[in-house]
Amino acid sequence: MFAEPSERGVSQPTLPARLPVAVALIWCGAFLASAAPWLGQLDTGTLIAAFWTFEASDYASVLAHYSWAPRVAIAVLIGCGLGLAGAVTQQILGNPLASPSTLGVEAGSQFGISVATLFFPGLLAFSPDLVAVTGGLLAIGLVIALTWRLGFSPVTVILAGLVVTFFLGAVNMAFLLLKGEWLGNLFIWGAGSLAQNNWHPFMDLWPRVLVLGVLMVLLMRPLQVMQLGQASARSLGAKVGLIRLLALFLVVLMSATVVSRVGVVAFIGLAAPVLARLLGARTLLQRLIWSSLLGSGLLLLADTAAHWASTWGDGSLVPTGTTTALIGGPIILIALQGLKNTHHMPGQDDSHTGFLPKRRSTLAIGGAIAVLLLITLVTSMSWSPGLTDWSWTPIAQWHEAWIWRGPRLLAAVLAGMALGLAGTLIQRMTGNVMASPEMLGISGGAAVVMVLIVLSGADIGRAGQLGAATLGAATALGLLILLARRHRFAGNQLLLGGLALYVFMDAGLRLVMASGGTVASRLLNWMYGATWLVSETEALGLLGLILLIAATLLLTVRPLSILPLGETSASSLGLPVAKVRLLLLLLAALLTASATVVIGPLSFVGLIAPHLARVLGQQTVGRQLIVAALAGGLLLGIADYLSRIVVYPNQLPAGLLAALVGGLYFLWGLSRHGRA
Amino acid sequence: MPVFFDVSSLDVRIGDTAILHDLNLGFVEGEVTALLGHNGSGKSTLLKVLARQLAPTSGKVQLLGRPFQSTGAREFARHVGYLPQHPPGTDGLTVRELVALGRYPWRGPLGRYNDEDHRLITQAIEDTGLGLFQHRSVDTLSGGERQRAWIAMLLAQQTRCLLLDEPISALDVKHQVETLRLVHRLAQQRDLTVVVVLHDVDLAARFCDRLVALKSGQLVADGSPRDIMDAGILESIYDVPMGVMERAPGQWVSYVH
Repeated sequence: MFAEPSERGVSQPTLPARLPVAVALIWCGAFLASAAPWLGQLDTGTLIAAFWTFEASDYASVLAHYSWAPRVAIAVLIGCGLGLAGAVTQQILGNPLASPSTLGVEAGSQFGISVATLFFPGLLAFSPDLVAVTGGLLAIGLVIALTWRLGFSPVTVILAGLVVTFFLGAVNMAFLLLKGEWLGNLFIWGAGSLAQNNWHPFMDLWPRVLVLGVLMVLLMRPLQVMQLGQASARSLGAKVGLIRLLALFLVVLMSATVVSRVGVVAFIGLAAPVLARLLGARTLLQRLIWSSLLGSGLLLLADTAAHWASTWGDGSLVPTGTTTALIGGPIILIALQGLKNTHHMPGQDDSHTGFLPKRRSTLAIGGAIAVLLLITLVTSMSWSPGLTDWSWTPIAQWHEAWIWRGPRLLAAVLAGMALGLAGTLIQRMTGNVMASPEMLGISGGAAVVMVLIVLSGADIGRAGQLGAATLGAATALGLLILLARRHRFAGNQLLLGGLALYVFMDAGLRLVMASGGTVASRLLNWMYGATWLVSETEALGLLGLILLIAATLLLTVRPLSILPLGETSASSLGLPVAKVRLLLLLLAALLTASATVVIGPLSFVGLIAPHLARVLGQQTVGRQLIVAALAGGLLLGIADYLSRIVVYPNQLPAGLLAALVGGLYFLWGLSRHGRA
Repeated sequence: MPVFFDVSSLDVRIGDTAILHDLNLGFVEGEVTALLGHNGSGKSTLLKVLARQLAPTSGKVQLLGRPFQSTGAREFARHVGYLPQHPPGTDGLTVRELVALGRYPWRGPLGRYNDEDHRLITQAIEDTGLGLFQHRSVDTLSGGERQRAWIAMLLAQQTRCLLLDEPISALDVKHQVETLRLVHRLAQQRDLTVVVVLHDVDLAARFCDRLVALKSGQLVADGSPRDIMDAGILESIYDVPMGVMERAPGQWVSYVH
């Protein structure tokens, strides 16, 4: 009764040979590279025997037994655990960019350790595990609480995870800037260091990893059912929420346990499953097995590279976290090219982002925000704490205070506007409400360039910085658009690409942080938006630039409404798609870069302002642009004012405050959104 | 015949919008029922409520005379299978692996698959004519074959009821007919209760025992094809002037004036 199939049936698909070959290559290469420095001192047999014994008379043998062998063993063990945890996470959320790092677990653990170091040092001595697990659970608990009502829809979970990561990172930084002297070595811990001097940590760790691993494997069949999407999984009788909860809990335990021993070894849990899948691990079982093996190999490789770099460099420590990030970044970028079918990932159809609040008048909303902005400006110029008490500066005396308060305020407001505009532009161009300069790594691209400049020690002035940052942002955005084009800007691809850039930025940052010194604190201040670095001419220059761009944007309102309809529809409506896209790309990059130079890459304004505009009922492009710009300016204006006064006479970077406030707003909005 | 689903005074609201309003309906065991109605009439919502994908705002649904919500998840899945309107990508699963997942309600997270399970899986694949494709990745199949693979999964589930949400909307005429014929045949062989959302009223009349039409969340017509295939009733369902011809006994053609 059915048409005869036109082709012959195919036999059972087998595992592609390249998978075991690649794993074997990585393992052998990493092991040999790791063993190479020792081979001169010990023969192969003795070196391998170092894993269980040593000769007390031979110093090299003792060293190998207590330093090299446990380091290799722990790298393999941790890599295995993280690879498995990553594969399980990706399966739960049906999302190729899910991993313990992106869910905020690692940031949470780090946060836990920071807090314990500062306030409860005794607890840390008692059990670092406990603190890290608590922190990790706190982070994921936050993520779960926020997404509970949405049934853990994958996209929301990732989004909440990213925001929690950024948020906890920002809190961490705030501690660091205020109490830096207590947290110095936390930098190194935070960057992940696998250096060992005995077998205790390994002996301590392996039973836990084993137990957690076995539990994860036991969950395999329910996890497999999840692959069919929420509706079908539920209709097969799987308790979707419970399974996700249980599996996520195991993932947290696994990563926090690992992290409390060696610090944040980011992106192994992301890269290993992605690589396994790319190399052809098809079924869940295959993915679990090969992700674990690849995780081990990759971490061993990264650790060896870090070890070598530390030895051959000028003695400065290169943490393993840096090299894992350097390996993780490219793998994610490759994944972006190779992963097919991800725009059709299970669960994506039940995203809850497509809500439409009631439309409201732009004049009223925009007016209200403009008035608030004005109040902020006046308050910020006039009302400030002095040495003894608060005082009011009348307008007549503003010219005296201007030099201290004016340029930075102006620059902050302008940066906020720029981010609001850039965020709206990018959201419209990609047709994705989660897109923003921060999330897509466009700020990250600008930051990478800035970090490179700092690392190279060159001093190129503000204009040079702006130019370089624009270049970085434009490259990042261009790359993203190029990569994501064939996937029609599906959210996953863009976020994945942005994440890869963020990883690079992170690697550079960790390196700088671990080396410490004045460079680190300068970079830190800039990263978190120290507006006091801005001079008057720069602020005025920025004003001119933003006005110019805003005028250009007026011309692009209509093309921007058409672009989300898709390339085909846009060009059949007579829009020169390539040209318009290039123009918008440049504008967005320039806006992001000019804001990043002032406020750093980590404020949430570019994500929040457009979102706020939508929530306030501004659905069309032009209205959203205006309100988003005003809201962005307001947010950063307030942040700048608060940063000046909260710890007076000290200062906090405004971007840090914006990230804290913005993060809170976003988390709140997300949970409220779920309730609606 | 016992009533499989019994829906009484069912209300579903999303926000302020009433999707279904005061619906009373019974689905008889062993009958193939088509849900008709224009877009937004609430057909898919009704189906989701029956599949327990969506909790009703108020009202009651009974499954074989028992309260509906109290049944355990896997217990429910042994009675009712649901095919969503847009099945997601399966990410490299082969047909056989997909179909094997249909045994989950019976075996649970840890239970071993025995010979009976494998026989049922093979049977489901044979019944849907996918024998030659069983080791192909589902994503590489054509639309019609993919639809059949998902139906095969529902068959392996061995439920007494299938809920199909527009199973043929993306298919060409040939595959539409093949899929419906398959559903019809399976329903007869296995005495299944089937509720299927359809857009094509002619095909519905050809392959279903009973047609139920919704409009703005309320019941507008309910009866055998012979009752429903009437110019006046179709007009009241679709708000378009229509006519009906009976070409042969049990074969109607509807057309738009």
